[in-house]
Amino acid sequence: MEHKKDIKTQIQVTIDGKICNGTTNDTILKIARRNGIYIPTMCYLTKVEPIASCRMCIVDVEGVDGHILSCQERAVDGAVVHTQNSELFKQRQNIMKLYNVNHPLECGVCDKSGECDLQNKTLEYGVEVQTFQTKEPHRPVQNWGFISYDPALCIMCEKCVKVSHEITGNEALRIKMGGYKSTILNTKNDHFDSSLGESAAVCPVGALVDTSFKYSTNAWELTKIPATCSHCSSGCALSYEVKNDTIYRVTNPFEFSSLCGAGRYGFDFANRVNGKDKKAFDAGISAFKTAKTIKFSASITNEEAQILQELKNKFDYNLVCDEAYGYGEFMRAYSSTSGKSLYGGNLESLSKCEGIIVLGSRIEDDDPMVKYHITMASKRQSARVAYMHPIEDSRISNIVTQFIKYEVGSEEGVLALLLSYILSNKELPAHVSEYIKELDIGNLSAESNVGEEELEKFFKAIEKKNRFTLVIGSDIYAHPRVAHIAKLVGIIDSYSDFEIIAIPPATNALGVSLICDLDKQGVGESIGYNEIGDFTLSSQGAANLDMPALNQQEGTFTTIDKRVVATNVAISYDGYTLNDIANELGLYNKNTIDYTAKLPVSKGFMEVDFDNLRDDFDIEGNDMRGYLLASCETKKDDSLEEPAELSSFDGAMVYNCNETHYFGDATNKSKLLSSSESHTLKGSSQFAQIAKIEDGQSLRYSINDIVYERVFKIDTTLKGTIALNPTFDMGLSSSMVSSYRYNNFNIEKTNTVGAS
Amino acid sequence: MNEIRKEDERVKGTQEYVLLDLSHSPETGFDQFAQVVKRTFGKELFVGLWVTLREMGSTLFGKGKHTVSYPLEKMPIAPRYRAIHDMLRLLESGNYRCIGCGLCEKICISNCIAMDTKYDENQRKEVSEYTINFGRCIFCGYCAEVCPELAIVHGGRYENASEQRASFSLFEDMLKPIDMLTQQKEFDGFGAVSPNADENIKKTPLAY
Ligand code: SF4
Ligand code: SF4
Ligand code: SF4
Ligand code: SF4
Ligand code: FES
Repeated sequence: MEHKKDIKTQIQVTIDGKICNGTTNDTILKIARRNGIYIPTMCYLTKVEPIASCRMCIVDVEGVDGHILSCQERAVDGAVVHTQNSELFKQRQNIMKLYNVNHPLECGVCDKSGECDLQNKTLEYGVEVQTFQTKEPHRPVQNWGFISYDPALCIMCEKCVKVSHEITGNEALRIKMGGYKSTILNTKNDHFDSSLGESAAVCPVGALVDTSFKYSTNAWELTKIPATCSHCSSGCALSYEVKNDTIYRVTNPFEFSSLCGAGRYGFDFANRVNGKDKKAFDAGISAFKTAKTIKFSASITNEEAQILQELKNKFDYNLVCDEAYGYGEFMRAYSSTSGKSLYGGNLESLSKCEGIIVLGSRIEDDDPMVKYHITMASKRQSARVAYMHPIEDSRISNIVTQFIKYEVGSEEGVLALLLSYILSNKELPAHVSEYIKELDIGNLSAESNVGEEELEKFFKAIEKKNRFTLVIGSDIYAHPRVAHIAKLVGIIDSYSDFEIIAIPPATNALGVSLICDLDKQGVGESIGYNEIGDFTLSSQGAANLDMPALNQQEGTFTTIDKRVVATNVAISYDGYTLNDIANELGLYNKNTIDYTAKLPVSKGFMEVDFDNLRDDFDIEGNDMRGYLLASCETKKDDSLEEPAELSSFDGAMVYNCNETHYFGDATNKSKLLSSSESHTLKGSSQFAQIAKIEDGQSLRYSINDIVYERVFKIDTTLKGTIALNPTFDMGLSSSMVSSYRYNNFNIEKTNTVGAS
Repeated sequence: MNEIRKEDERVKGTQEYVLLDLSHSPETGFDQFAQVVKRTFGKELFVGLWVTLREMGSTLFGKGKHTVSYPLEKMPIAPRYRAIHDMLRLLESGNYRCIGCGLCEKICISNCIAMDTKYDENQRKEVSEYTINFGRCIFCGYCAEVCPELAIVHGGRYENASEQRASFSLFEDMLKPIDMLTQQKEFDGFGAVSPNADENIKKTPLAY
């Protein structure tokens, strides 16, 4: 699909005598970097719009008076640029001198020492003598929860502020102007968000640091283990920084990519075992010999999924993965109408959109990276964002231009409505236009409670815009009508310029759904892998046989970007692995990663050895990690059906939803993330009224046979009759929460009010 | 040609040999026998014994003593000698000087310094663990040289015998005892600032 704005003209500029190619949209700095020419910067951060606060990046352009800020100035065809001369050096040196005014001489204890931009550039520009000074106001260190701020070290580059507005959308940080007295303010002092870690990550000096890491060790003592975040399907790039077999902190290629709070602070989930437990292993082997079913969570690597599939081929197990089953069904049905084996969108393309519809996901909690990329689109292109969900989310009102509420369960009708709007005025094959003609729009609108005028308003707003994405979330995959909903999505994809992103509901749900032939249900005795089975293999405790956690394994994940990325061992593990079991059962591969090159090519995987997978970004910030799945053959099936009648959901309901930065057991174990708040059932006062419960009451209720014992809390930011029920702390059963995310609320037993 | 001639002259020089006045060696068997008898039974033996006795007396009781009575007495060690490390304190406050910067740990070529630091209640960096494994330390002095605070220096404790290595490797053991603070001298040994340090100081004004 060609978009007007994407058409860029090729230009040529000469930088320091070297002829460099670029396009009209590129800044001088970008072109220089691409060609390996160094221009010093202090405030430039590749992933956000130029900040232009430091003036270090000045260059001379022939025929132009004065210096030019290369970070924000776009290159002109034929320009001749000089990046180094004695005048520029002097100017830059003066800037460094100003930065150093009253800067405390505390590199000796500073956490940034060794990787500090100020330190490096002070040396680079030979600032040995400080000749001026100013009166220093008293500026104490401030503790902002996950991070702490030392104003005395701050150089006011504004990167942190920019990130909190343009990337995380948390918007907590702000600049307090005041000349030399300027500082950064945290305007949300009542609630310290873990996404603030993103701001600390980009701080070029020691002004913003992770509180937990502060003063604990020096940067150069840590070994960086390049890995992939294992908490959700975004598969963000990160490095575990390790010393003495302990993870001290998590860092990331912050110039180009981001992490959410879970990725940054939820790293202490290793399963430490004392050597190999032969007895448990033998018991495991005999359990595998009698079992008929293997149940597992989708938080496993592609290689482990491949092992399970090969075991299935050999012993005919039923493979049951509740987390990935619905998603697999969705993808197959989607392919049948779209003709594509994989959806077309990715996070990068999402951030470039001007019109976005999110359907069936509470994105702030479910998919931080999706939310970050929508924030980028919103802040950069003022993208129109329609957030379609039964529960309003006031936290994201800064990026959502229109909240469209629909009734619980009516997702299929909503999609039919969207289809009719998106495809109106489009050239369509007969069977689709026929289908649309026969839709009873009035009835769909009434049933789903989505007003026609609401949709009209949105589609009018995006009329003149370019690039659209429809984001589908995990409410859909467990919907009883998932297959047909997916077909409608496929139709939208085929005949409109909307791109689709179907967010995989768990870390490797996409990989598992491609690699394994999943069965809906198990039979006979079962093995559970990170799930409860008759014999349980687990990295989360409560195991018959221990398994390594995801930061103790080598392997690959398949991410939302349809990219196969590698992860590495950060914490040692000397127990048994799934591969040991497989070998005992007659599959012979020395290491788990020997399966990397054996992942099914028919499903789009490549025959690449694990050790040949890259783990970096190129100089322009393109993700070079691993490889992208290839698209493959699909089965066509264009038949469409009437949207089915709604099953009724009335009264008090609960929605399975973990608070931001909680995903599963790994985040539950994390010391830094833990908060008692996150374990409560949260609802509005309206919900409390209907359910006849009070704030602070201890409850016992069951959903799909899982019994929860929680305290109820009234959350004043919530409205309506749906409460939020966390599942991440349910240990091995949390990955079995596979049904439709909304359920009627039945209290089994109400204890006396335990006012807390 | 000229060169070579000059060289020759230098080699020749003037020879100033002196002949030693040596007594004649006994030539016949009888002469030899007579010499032995004379030396054995002459007074020379007793002269020798007397000299020994006299020196022993003066060494033990008099002025002629030339050794130190170790372990009662120890040789003063030169300030630049590199023995077991000392951790110094600030003279004014008595606080230890180490700021936990970790440079000594990093520079140590035998990798024998290990330390841990933490964020303390006063929002300062505190050294929570500090050990030097003296089984590995090669007393190169790099740590003392790199220390920006003159906190770690080489002291004069050179007796490296102990029942356990650990017993002299902890921070507390190396730290100057607080009651001996008054005896802590500004260190001029290994790692000390150079005598002309003042001249090298550059201006870095900080106004608070
Ligand atoms: S911010 Fe950089 S220059 Fe400033 S004290 Fe820390 S390491 Fe040194
Ligand atoms: S806190 Fe760090 S990132 Fe923020 S303005 Fe100061 S120096 Fe820049
Ligand atoms: S939890 Fe997801 S969004 Fe957060 S860092 Fe990990 S992969 Fe990225
Ligand atoms: S170099 Fe000096 S101040 Fe730094 S940690 Fe070592 S002893 Fe402490
Ligand atoms: S990098 Fe251009 S102004 Fe800072």
